Amino acid sequence: MKRLLRILLVPCVILVLMGADNQEARFQSLGGKIMCTCSCTQMLLKCNHVGCPNSDRMIRELRANVQSTSNDQEVLDWFRKTWGVTAVVEPSTHGFELFAWILPPLGLGLGLLLVIFVIRSWKLRTAPIAPADLNLDQQLESLRARAHRETEI
Amino acid sequence: MPLLGSFCLLFALALALYSFVVGIIAAVRKDTAGYRLAETARRAGMASFVAVFLAAGALVYAAMTNDFSVAYIMHHSNIALPTAYKFAALWSGQEGSILFWCLLLSAYGFVLRLRHKVDQRLVAMASVVLAGIQVFFLVLVNFVTNPFGIMNRAVADGNGLNPLLQYPEMVIHPPMLYLGYVGVSVPFAFGLAALIMRYPGEKWIHITRRWTMVAWLFLTCGIALGAHWAYAVLGWGGYWGWDPVENASLLPWLSTTAFLHSVMMQEKRGMMKMWNIWLVFITFMLSILGTMLTRAGLVSSVHAFAQSSIGSWFMGMLLVVFVVCLTFFIRNYDHLRSENQLESLVSRESSFLFNNLVLLAAVFAILTITLFPIFSEWVEGHKIAFGPAFYNTFTIPIALFLVFLMGIGPLLAWRSTSFGSIKRNFKVPAGIALLLGVGRILKMVLENGFHISSWLHIDLARLYAWLAFVLSAFVITTVSSEFIRGGIVWKNKLQTNLLAGMFQLMRRNMRRYGGYVVHFGIALLIIGVAGQAFNQDKEQEMGNGDKLAIGHYLLVGQEYTQDDNANYRSEAALLNVYKDGVFLERMNPELRFYKASGGQPDHKVANHSTLREDLYVIYEGKNPETGHPIIKAFVNPLVNWVWIGVLVVLFGTGLALVPNAAPVTAQVPQTVAVVATMEKQGMQPAGAGK
Repeated sequence: MKRLLRILLVPCVILVLMGADNQEARFQSLGGKIMCTCSCTQMLLKCNHVGCPNSDRMIRELRANVQSTSNDQEVLDWFRKTWGVTAVVEPSTHGFELFAWILPPLGLGLGLLLVIFVIRSWKLRTAPIAPADLNLDQQLESLRARAHRETEI
Repeated sequence: MPLLGSFCLLFALALALYSFVVGIIAAVRKDTAGYRLAETARRAGMASFVAVFLAAGALVYAAMTNDFSVAYIMHHSNIALPTAYKFAALWSGQEGSILFWCLLLSAYGFVLRLRHKVDQRLVAMASVVLAGIQVFFLVLVNFVTNPFGIMNRAVADGNGLNPLLQYPEMVIHPPMLYLGYVGVSVPFAFGLAALIMRYPGEKWIHITRRWTMVAWLFLTCGIALGAHWAYAVLGWGGYWGWDPVENASLLPWLSTTAFLHSVMMQEKRGMMKMWNIWLVFITFMLSILGTMLTRAGLVSSVHAFAQSSIGSWFMGMLLVVFVVCLTFFIRNYDHLRSENQLESLVSRESSFLFNNLVLLAAVFAILTITLFPIFSEWVEGHKIAFGPAFYNTFTIPIALFLVFLMGIGPLLAWRSTSFGSIKRNFKVPAGIALLLGVGRILKMVLENGFHISSWLHIDLARLYAWLAFVLSAFVITTVSSEFIRGGIVWKNKLQTNLLAGMFQLMRRNMRRYGGYVVHFGIALLIIGVAGQAFNQDKEQEMGNGDKLAIGHYLLVGQEYTQDDNANYRSEAALLNVYKDGVFLERMNPELRFYKASGGQPDHKVANHSTLREDLYVIYEGKNPETGHPIIKAFVNPLVNWVWIGVLVVLFGTGLALVPNAAPVTAQVPQTVAVVATMEKQGMQPAGAGK
């Protein structure tokens, strides 16, 4: 019986420890997404002000939230609601704040489309008319080639 | 004096208005009378500078003589304020800074109108555009935010200058930044004038190129001084915090950088004319937006010393500028068609195109995040602002890609680059950069040992830092190889040494090689910024004899002092600093409380700065609970590389502004008979004399 209990206990302990590790990782990860609100502009877990009025309390609240809630987004939303929207360094991924994530890459994407459009329009344009004096053009080309050879710039 | 100042400002407005209205009439009438009218408009524009100069002089005089009957002086100066800061009072408040904008704008206008012979028609139209901008700012300074308002009661002393501004760099930083902001008005004026007139050719580009470079130089200098001020004064251990006002100065800098690159495509190949004209317009609008953010306080910022409600005026100005630009663009866009086509995606043109795309993407990303609090207030009813980490999510990858482009751009030829040429040119720089990158990893492994777990959970900031080192090394080797290869050609040609050869090479194309020096400086700056990934900081209470260990350093508290003078009272710490057990120096961080500002605190940072790292120490005051002094120390690696990089950038820009040396006159070789034939026909080979 004792042996059976031990056999059952070991996986339980492992599971609990794994959970603890997971909770600790979540705590560290979320702590890196929340700012201390004492105007020190530091991340919550990095705030090292002596006598900081907020960080100790916020860290306790974070730990409690991590224990009670499995959804990280809910934890961040709780901090937004309790400490103000500036407590979280990144915008949330829903609602109006989603635009803050979308707009910068969208700008880059639209710019890329514009560049492709410009390049296409240049490519589609007919080539410029060749100079009338082909002989002179060839001579100029040979001079350019020589200049290129001699300077190698 | 306040009366004289007010009168001068009104007179300046009348002169600018005359210059604007009569300038337009003269542009419409194309007869002799029109020419005479244009001349009177030009002179009125020049006279407006004298009037604004006198007004600014009156305000400075009031500050110097402690004339606290002037409300502005009462709010921004006091008797005990040192003379240099009394002078700086001119731009330390909103009213004064708008007057300063007017002064600089009219000074630029004065020089532009003085040099009208460069192209009288184009300058006349550009002068009208500048006069229009002058009218806006003079209306503001006369009727909305007048610096000569009189106090309705007598006061013995003023409120004093904001303590954060009582720092030597603050006497230079705002003028530099404003010279940059205002400077972009000149290319804007020329660009709009050229578009309105359907001005043929690229002459406006040639005329404005130097103006744009000068504005860029001042912006660079202003931004760098601001960053240095933030580092030395604000006492948070960093130099760039993505503050909205910092961003406001960076935005026109980025778009001007894009313009300075793409303009080469227009000059050399007649391409990207529409793009360039819009870049000039956007840059000007961003400079107005920057002034609005700085002065109107639309978004919260550390620059809270200049907040007010003039934002609506600037919004109106921005709208008018946009409508005017769009109207003339729609009317005359056929004039801006490209003369050439892109021949290959692997070419200098293509690299400029991508450089412009990435720079404008950076502008868009920073602008969006900066203005997001305003948008969120409209939509959600409250301001949502984001921290530096969110900016970095977008800006670091963009910056790294730009550094990569900076490395490959100079190695690509105009029109098209062959695979062989790419291989030949890239081999050495890419090889050296990769070797340095691998060397850096090996050094880390040797120092810390190889732990598989640390490689699996590698910090993104450190990965970015590594990439920044590698790419910067790539840029530095690219630039060096360009100098060395060209220098060898000149060395052989002139039978001299390599350095003299490189000097000759540079003298013959100052703009190109000055630009390479700028790239070199940016690479140094990027290395410095990458050092932030390895910053350390620590804070603790320190009594006499207490120790604080950080990095290689040990700080030992020796003594704590207090002082009191007419301007401020202060608390300071004396700390002995040891590095690896050896005494280094005694540091003296200080905290001042300025009396005139109601005891507002201000840190005087103690900084031991080397090429490798800074030991940055601040005295944070006393713990109210224990009464013990609190010391905060940072070890910030490679910060000096940022400042050195900026100096190299400024030096490179200065070089690019110097005219090329006269071309060498050489005898025409007998074998190239065709050149002689061409000369007989009054022709010149392509590129001769440039």
